[in-house]
This record gives sequence, structure tokens and C-alpha cells, in this order.
Amino acid sequence: MVEALQHAGRRGFALVENAFDAAFGPRINPFYHLGALAFFFFWIVAASGIYLFIFFETSIDGAYGSVEYLTHTQWYLGGVARSLHRYASDAMVIVVLLHLAREFVLDRYRGVRWYAWITGVMLLWFLYASGIGGYWLVWDRLAQYIAVVTAEWLDWLPLFGESIARNFLNSATVSDRFFSLLFFMHIGIPLFLLLGMWIHIQRISRARTNPPRAIMFGTLAALTVLSLVYPALSQGPADLDTVVSVVRPDWFYLTLYPLIDVWSPGAVWMVAGGGTLLLMILPWLPRRPEAAAAVVSLPNCNGCGRCFADCPYSAVIMQPRTDGLPYDSQASVDPDLCTACGICAGACPTATPFRRTTELVAGIDMPLLPVRALRQRALDVMAPLSGPDRVLVYACRGGSDPGALETAGVGVVTLPCVGALPPSFIDFAISRRHADGVMLVGCAAGDCYQRLGIDWVEQRLAGQRDPYLRGRVPRDRVITIWAGPRDGAKLARRLAAFRARLRDMGPFPRGGTPPDASASSQGEIRNVAY
Amino acid sequence: MSLIEWDEKFSVGVAAVDHEHRELIGLVNETYNRLKRPDAGVTVPDFLGEIYARISAHFALEENLMRAKRYAHFDEHKADHERLLDEIRDIMDDYEDDEVFDEQQFAQRLETWFTGHFSTHDARLHRQLD
Repeated sequence: MVEALQHAGRRGFALVENAFDAAFGPRINPFYHLGALAFFFFWIVAASGIYLFIFFETSIDGAYGSVEYLTHTQWYLGGVARSLHRYASDAMVIVVLLHLAREFVLDRYRGVRWYAWITGVMLLWFLYASGIGGYWLVWDRLAQYIAVVTAEWLDWLPLFGESIARNFLNSATVSDRFFSLLFFMHIGIPLFLLLGMWIHIQRISRARTNPPRAIMFGTLAALTVLSLVYPALSQGPADLDTVVSVVRPDWFYLTLYPLIDVWSPGAVWMVAGGGTLLLMILPWLPRRPEAAAAVVSLPNCNGCGRCFADCPYSAVIMQPRTDGLPYDSQASVDPDLCTACGICAGACPTATPFRRTTELVAGIDMPLLPVRALRQRALDVMAPLSGPDRVLVYACRGGSDPGALETAGVGVVTLPCVGALPPSFIDFAISRRHADGVMLVGCAAGDCYQRLGIDWVEQRLAGQRDPYLRGRVPRDRVITIWAGPRDGAKLARRLAAFRARLRDMGPFPRGGTPPDASASSQGEIRNVAY
Repeated sequence: MSLIEWDEKFSVGVAAVDHEHRELIGLVNETYNRLKRPDAGVTVPDFLGEIYARISAHFALEENLMRAKRYAHFDEHKADHERLLDEIRDIMDDYEDDEVFDEQQFAQRLETWFTGHFSTHDARLHRQLD
């Protein structure tokens, strides 16, 4: 059931994402930055909210008028700020729900990822409470509707001794003090939302809380245009002596509100509460069997900290040395945080296939595919390759189907993440002439399944992040392709072009020292030809 | 017989770094001895590969220390490390690929390469790492 949903969802997302890839390019595809976009929209709402706060009157009689003043008299700033405040809030609901759905269909909510999932689900309540509270403050007819229906809804809970609706929501008793309370709640709840968002990203390292600039400018421009063309307006002043019969609700926040009337407050509590509960236990329905966590080999670890720096999940920590060797620290893995992506092994300086004397064990290694097994697998795959254009493909499991590429001249080794490949494996294949070229295949750019694998690979190849791919490795024999599950044809085309290029280049020269020794100097590291 | 003897002048005053320097000297000497007495089980490339892995880890640790101490000449020192790593890789490939092999020249190259690493340690770095 879960898998069928995920499968269908993945197809749906892939269709839309491919369209966005084609339109904007994968780097600035908003679908790869949904979480970061939620942060961005939060800041737009916060900034516009601060401006509105300057002019807003916190009283029953003044609120509506002050919002009208902002909207109409000061339309060029106040009106735009109000519309941005509203539309960015709506946009936040959209990206948050998409974010939730996408992490679900990509199966990134179970196992060690339960924490982000649960905190994320709880944030939904803060998000909705923040938005609904905002509508209340305008004190127009929609606000009145919200006030009455919210009170009815809350009254259903046996929390309040007396009915909120009867006590506060009539023209004689609704007071400025009650209104001030709502106002402070509208500041307090969003602050809790922000705190929750911060808690939400605690278990990952280098959380991306800012989308790429192009996305920020693009969405801000789009929201501003929307605000000018279709400004947010009030729906007539509230009057508690009359009953609101027709309102135009904001469907992003008030989706369930009509149901409170149509069904009953209790039924909507069941839907909202039951839905939340279901989402919260989802990571254990069923729990995903996680691949074995990374293991540290102390005789091979000197505490250099590269795995610690590269782990996308904060699963590696550096702790004081325990084996008596004269190093300060050693790496240590928290299995509850490790997704077995292998990126730590890709960063380890001892994970090199050139080692053979002692049994090849990396300082940090993956039980499922230790570097020794990886070395053997690469050799096994390369041994039968023939022709002047032999290519070894290192591919991650998240992207397109790499097995389809295998031919007499092309061998494929699959990794949990392309970031799990220590760069010296590329050097090894080419300089030992096991292959004429190496192709790295990862998930669609900007959307690495293991978050940081692609970034690290690009930086390692460009000599910007340790461990560098050695400057002496000819970059025209290395190619990287970041491709989604539906990019099979593109992948095949790029591979064919790469092999044609390799045929033109001829075999890799023998010996380590190139005729022109200066050619392998530092400068070359920074000129990467993909 | 040893190609390189540990010398107190090699000491940088950091226990971890000195420990690895001693280990590396041991490996270089073993490689040298293997050159003189070939053994089918453990070959020279095996030792060179091991040296490559150990020196990579050694540089990684040094760089980590330098970053932590905000060593002013980090970039130059890092570039030296990368150059030395390229050189040992050249030595490895030359050993595997050269049809004509000159043992003395090879040993000389290995020694020069290794002591080259010490020349990258200036007094300033010693003080900072301390």
C-alpha cells in the first residue's frame, strides 16, 4: 500500500519535475528546494509583517480601518506588504505540503529520518495556527467567520470551562484586550514555528535554508507582481450582530473550515487529529530495514576529521582517542543517524585502491560495500572490457538505471551514493589503464538523494574539497552526469559522445611523469573539463 | 639497512605528527629493503600504495590541525601537500610502467620526495601546531 502510493507519487513528481527541469534547468528547479523555499517564504512573511505591524492598530475598532488604510491609501507599500504577507504565507503552505509529499514518495521519512518527519508534521499545526491567526486580525467578515467557526471548533474540546463563542464573540464583550491577546499570539506562534523549523533541521548537517538566488529573486518578483495585479483585500468590516453568510475563504489555510459547519467540530477534530497521528506513526508502518551503519577502523583512523566534515546527516562525530595512539581524536558513528550513504568513506584518505599490503580497510568504511570489495568489484567489472574506449561507470542508486549502459566496452559499478566514491578510484582506473575513461552518474543535479553527495563530488573533482582528485588525472577522461530516473536517453547519448572522444584521444600514456612535468602542476586542478 | 633514519630534527613537537612521521619513515625503509630483496608476496607497489594512503591521511590530519589553528600560510602548505601527493603518484606509476628500472635512482627519488615533505615545515608552523 505504502509502496504503491510512493510509486505513483514518484511518477507524478517526476513528470512535473522534468517539466521544470526543461524550463529552468535542474540547478534552479524549485522542486529540489522545497524545504529551503519554506524558509524563504517565512522570511518574506516576517519582513512584510514587521512593516504591517508599524501601521496596524490593535483594537476592535481600529484594526479594520488601519488595514484598509494600508491596502488602499498606502497601496504602493502597505498594500504590497499586506499582499506579500498573505501570498507568501499561502506559498509556504504549498511548498510545505509538497515537501512532505515528496519526502514521502522518495522514502525519505523512515528509518533514521523519522526525526525530521515527526518534527515536520508537528510544524504543520504551527503553520496553520499562524496563518489562521493572521486572518483573524484583519477583522473583516472573513475574520468574523473564522472567529466564530474557530471558537465553535475549540469549544468542542473539553478544555475551556465556558464557551469561547458565548463569552467573547459578541459585540458587547469582545474587547480590545482579547484582540491584543490574538495579536501577540500571531507573533508568538510564528516564532514557535521558526524555532520548530530550526529543530526540524537539527539532525542534518549543512541544512539548506536558503534556495538558490535565482529562485529567491524569481519567486519574490512573482509574488510582488501578484500583489500589484491582484492585491489582497478585506471583505467588509466585521459585525458580530449579524451572521456572516457568504465569505471567500483562503483555501490554503481554511481548507477544513467549511467542514466544521457541514459535518461537526468533532468530525473535523477526528480528521485533523487522526490525520496528524497517522502521519506521525507513518515512519514505523513499516519501519524500513536500514543498511548497516558506517564503521570506524581505529588502526586506519588518525582523526583527520574529513568524514566528520562531509557527513550529510551529522552521524559522524569526533571523540577523544580511546586506543592509546598519540592522536587527539577519532571518528565515531552514531548508527541512529547513519543512512549508510558511504559519503564518509568517499572522504577518507586511507580509502584508496592503490593500497594492497595490509588488508585494505578504510578508516571509515561501509559494511555493505567496504572499499576492499569496491576495489574488487571495479576490477571484476573492468577486466572483460575491450576496445579503445573502455568506460567504467560509477553510478548511484538514486538516479537513472545505470545497468542499461553495460556493453562490451562499458562496465558499471553501483554505489549507495556517487559521493561514496573515493576520488583515487578514478585515478586508479585510468592510470593503471583498467579503463580509458571514468563516468560518474549521480541523481539529478540539485537533488542528490543523500543531500550532499553531488556537491562533494564536484568539489573533489575541482580540487576545492578534500580529498582532491589528483591534478595529474586528465580531466578529459572523467565525465560527470547528474541524471534523474527518466534521463536514460540523455545518459546514453552523453556516454556515446564520451567514448567517441576517448577513441580520438588514444590510450593513456605509460608512466607517471608526463613529458612536460609542469603540465601536472596545481593550476590544472582548477580547470576541470567535464 | 635504512634509507632514512629518524632524526630529532624531524620532530615538529606534536606527538601525533611525529608518530606518523616515524611510521612513514618505517614504510619508506621497508619499501627500500623490498627493492633490494624482492618478495613475490608483498611487492614494491604494495608498499608504495601503503605510503600513498598513509601520507594522504597524514596530510589530512596536518591540514586539519592547521585549519583549527588558523595557520596563516595554510594555502601554500596545502599546495605543497598536493604537489607531494602528485609526485608520489608519479613515482608509483613510473615504478609500474618503466621498462628500464634503476634501483638507485628510484631510491634517491623516494628519499628526496620524503625529505621534501620536511622542508615544507617551517618554524612558524611548528610554533602554531604546538
